[in-house]
Amino acid sequence: MQKRSDDCLIAYLDGEVDASERREIEGWLDTDPAARDKLAALAESAALVRSAFDEVVHEPVPDRLIAAARGEKLSAERRANILPFKRGRSPAGAPAGRSWWLGLPLAASLCGLLLGGSVAYLSVAKLLPGALEGKQPAVEMAAADNLWLDNAAGYFKLLASAGDGALIDVPATGDPREALQKISQSLPQEVRLPDLKPWGLSFRGARLVVADGRPAAQLVYTTDNKAIGPLTLIIGSSKEQDIPPTLARRQDVNLLYWRHQGRAYALVGQTDVGYLWGIANDVAWQLDAI
Amino acid sequence: MSIRFGDQLIAVLPRLRRFARGLTGSAVEADDLVQAACERALARQHQFQEGTRFDSWMFRIVQTIWIDQVRSRDVRKEGGEVAEERLGSDEPVRRVEARLALDEVRRAVHRLPPDQRTALLLVTVDGLSYKEAAEVVRVPVGTIMSRLARARIALQHQLEAGGGMRRSIDNAEAQ
Repeated sequence: MQKRSDDCLIAYLDGEVDASERREIEGWLDTDPAARDKLAALAESAALVRSAFDEVVHEPVPDRLIAAARGEKLSAERRANILPFKRGRSPAGAPAGRSWWLGLPLAASLCGLLLGGSVAYLSVAKLLPGALEGKQPAVEMAAADNLWLDNAAGYFKLLASAGDGALIDVPATGDPREALQKISQSLPQEVRLPDLKPWGLSFRGARLVVADGRPAAQLVYTTDNKAIGPLTLIIGSSKEQDIPPTLARRQDVNLLYWRHQGRAYALVGQTDVGYLWGIANDVAWQLDAI
Repeated sequence: MSIRFGDQLIAVLPRLRRFARGLTGSAVEADDLVQAACERALARQHQFQEGTRFDSWMFRIVQTIWIDQVRSRDVRKEGGEVAEERLGSDEPVRRVEARLALDEVRRAVHRLPPDQRTALLLVTVDGLSYKEAAEVVRVPVGTIMSRLARARIALQHQLEAGGGMRRSIDNAEAQ
């Protein structure tokens, strides 16, 4: 009898009883204080169990699982590359391929010039047959993606190398929205600021950059957690078709990039991919939600 | 591999990890289990029926692999010892009382028999209905109901005996 009672209470708590059973159980609860106590205790223990396992879903998903889900084999070399960000100079044996991003300081210094001429750029772009049309051959689109991502990763590396001395065009002093307004004045579209405080990231400021020849905003987030390191979010314009968040990698830099309604986004960092996925989803949600 | 299939798989990974963590009691073993489930899902993606719940299908794969692993072990340590040892090895230094209390809850869950633990994780933690959980485990709904009831009652007794509920409540109130 007691077991039957417990079963009923548990099913009632789980919403697994029909209307007549619910009325019957509620009638029983009205008249039996012990049953009410039992129900409260069962609800309490269920809440505890949920709490005990809830943190797992907020943990970063390991790279190896992302790779497994995509049907990729994560090579030992690649796994070794996904390391917590280390500040300072690279070791003497740094890979030769590193030089690809070293040219970007020059690009950065030309940024203001390019921004000033962004209107002219857009006019010129119209003269290029098919350059900004919705459909492009896949190879061309991939090449454009690559350049855009190279730029996004390069600007991240510049920022990470500079550490605390990194130049920020519009520091996040006072009202961050003001910083975003200033940045937006130089871009084809207004840029909004995703709040990443729940991820332990503070908005430090924004920079104007050039990604694949187009002006873009680089939002800079930092944290005291050295295992995560700085993160940047590049927001630029795009006339390509929308794509869902997609993982890319440039040496030891992870990028999650996507396009949505005329904007191109790249979340860039040296933390693990699972963490980036979580943040990217949050960013996508925040920027589309309002 | 279709992009959509991979994307669905990535989207459900956090929940699969939670389910696997509850089953195995170990972060490392749980991720190994999820990885094996991903590999099996990709190999058998043609078996997934469009229009059915992808998450349930994946839960079933995780649960099946785990059951196979459990059965392949000749001698299994007593649940409490296993849980304590494994959880301890994966956890960082326990910083707060609340974490201790939640550890106690996890250990209590791990002491449950595998079939009860599975039912508890699917319904109470992941919010599946009895019918959905029954489909994952491939047993009648009534079986899920009785396993769940036994699990919930045993868990409550364990927590009450260990003072876990009271401490957890106190900690929650203190935070």
